[in-house]
Amino acid sequence: MANQEAGENPIKSEGDIVTCRKLIRNAAVAAGFGMTDVTRIVTAVSELARNVYVHSGSDGVMRWEILHQPGQIGIHLEFEDYGKGIPDVDQAMEVGFTTAGTMGMGLSGVKRLMDDINIKSEVGVGTTITVEKWGRAK
Amino acid sequence: MNHSHSNSKYISNFNSWAEQKRFVNFTDEDAALLQKLHPFAVDYADVFVEKLYEHLQKFPDTKRFLGDEKMLMRLKLAQKAYFMDLTSGDYGEGYFKSRIKVGIAHQRIGLPPRIYMSTYCYYMQLMIPQIYSNPTFDVETANGIFSALHKIINLDQELAISAYIHATDEVISRQTEEILEMSTPVIQIWEGVVAAPIIGMLDSGRTQQFMERLLETIVQTNSPVALIDITGVPQIDTATAQHLIDTINAVKLLGSQVIITGVRPVIAQTLVHLGIDLSGIITRPTMALGLKVALDKLSIKVVDVSKE
Ligand SMILES: Nc1ncnc2c1ncn2[C@@H]1O[C@H](COP(=O)(O)OP(=O)(O)O)[C@@H](O)[C@H]1O
Ligand SMILES: [Mg+2]
Repeated sequence: MANQEAGENPIKSEGDIVTCRKLIRNAAVAAGFGMTDVTRIVTAVSELARNVYVHSGSDGVMRWEILHQPGQIGIHLEFEDYGKGIPDVDQAMEVGFTTAGTMGMGLSGVKRLMDDINIKSEVGVGTTITVEKWGRAK
Repeated sequence: MNHSHSNSKYISNFNSWAEQKRFVNFTDEDAALLQKLHPFAVDYADVFVEKLYEHLQKFPDTKRFLGDEKMLMRLKLAQKAYFMDLTSGDYGEGYFKSRIKVGIAHQRIGLPPRIYMSTYCYYMQLMIPQIYSNPTFDVETANGIFSALHKIINLDQELAISAYIHATDEVISRQTEEILEMSTPVIQIWEGVVAAPIIGMLDSGRTQQFMERLLETIVQTNSPVALIDITGVPQIDTATAQHLIDTINAVKLLGSQVIITGVRPVIAQTLVHLGIDLSGIITRPTMALGLKVALDKLSIKVVDVSKE
């Protein structure tokens, strides 16, 4: 079977977070990412999927795609939910900011773990967070 | 928080059963046809039950479920009620619930689904002549009754099988929980030192259990040092880090100390990226090195007697 290069997974339960991590770990390894990058990517997935589950107050979905450039491989991830939204995105990105009494270091951490992060959010409508990571092709 | 449960999709609720009725095309007309059969079913009930149990007693596999004389009497009574309900004409929520109960009861005593299903087959074999040799039914009515009976029995079977699957599913999730518990063992590896190798992610469900067991073992063994080994943890996100820090603080409250071992370079790097500061925590790359620190703390010296 050919390696799957794109897909999606719902985020409705804590078990779905586990599935998201597993899916992306397998996809990133198959794409040829090194172990350091795989760990960073999977950690980011864990943060963002958990945020959907814990903060959005609704269901969500993770979409992913493996990208190719000459000499490079990339992964594009999108986390979309239909929940309460983030009123102040800059504030949410601050180290230590949390509305849940947890560490408040997820979003700022993801920004450092990945090459690119983009947050679109509307209060009462939902949040879409996309991240990308590139590595040297094997 | 809404934890979705995998079990719920198997056991039907009354709504999904209504859908199931539409699926097999069970209509009010079918209900009416079955009701036509009802007075004859009532007359035939005692003979039917006797014949059925006579058949079941022929096979050692089924006979052992029938029990002693008293038990058999009770089973026959229950069977008779079940049989007469089949043609009662009322297939509402009461009927639905009683069928689910019957399925669960049979699963509970360990009756294989094979026997359950085959008994329905024998049901039909006994009933078909009752329908077609009845002079009050013309062929068209008899065909209609036959079809309606077939449908209701199919619906009953579906409920029974759902109950079986549901029960099996519960066994699986219980076993999963047990495996989960086994996968975070806490063991005393030296007088005064307990060790807990964590395999897999430390998710919320598991942390609570793990923390409780670790604290209990520390108290029971009166251990000043606990080694938590994370060699088998694939990655640490902020939630896992929080769980670890909470655990470490709880251990501190007992007057003991945690050493985190098996911190791989990739994990250390990700923790730095996440901005998590573990500088106040003793960490070692391997469990062996962690044990060395622990023994030093306890002022224990291990000597290699061959070199003495
Ligand atoms: N998908 C989301 N929907 C709504 N709010 C979110 C979402 N993701 C993050 N947030 C908000 O951003 C804050 C910071 O998130 P994060 O940095 O991951 O820290 P933490 O999860 O520990 O609170 C959260 O407390 C929450 O208020
Ligand atoms: Mg978070």
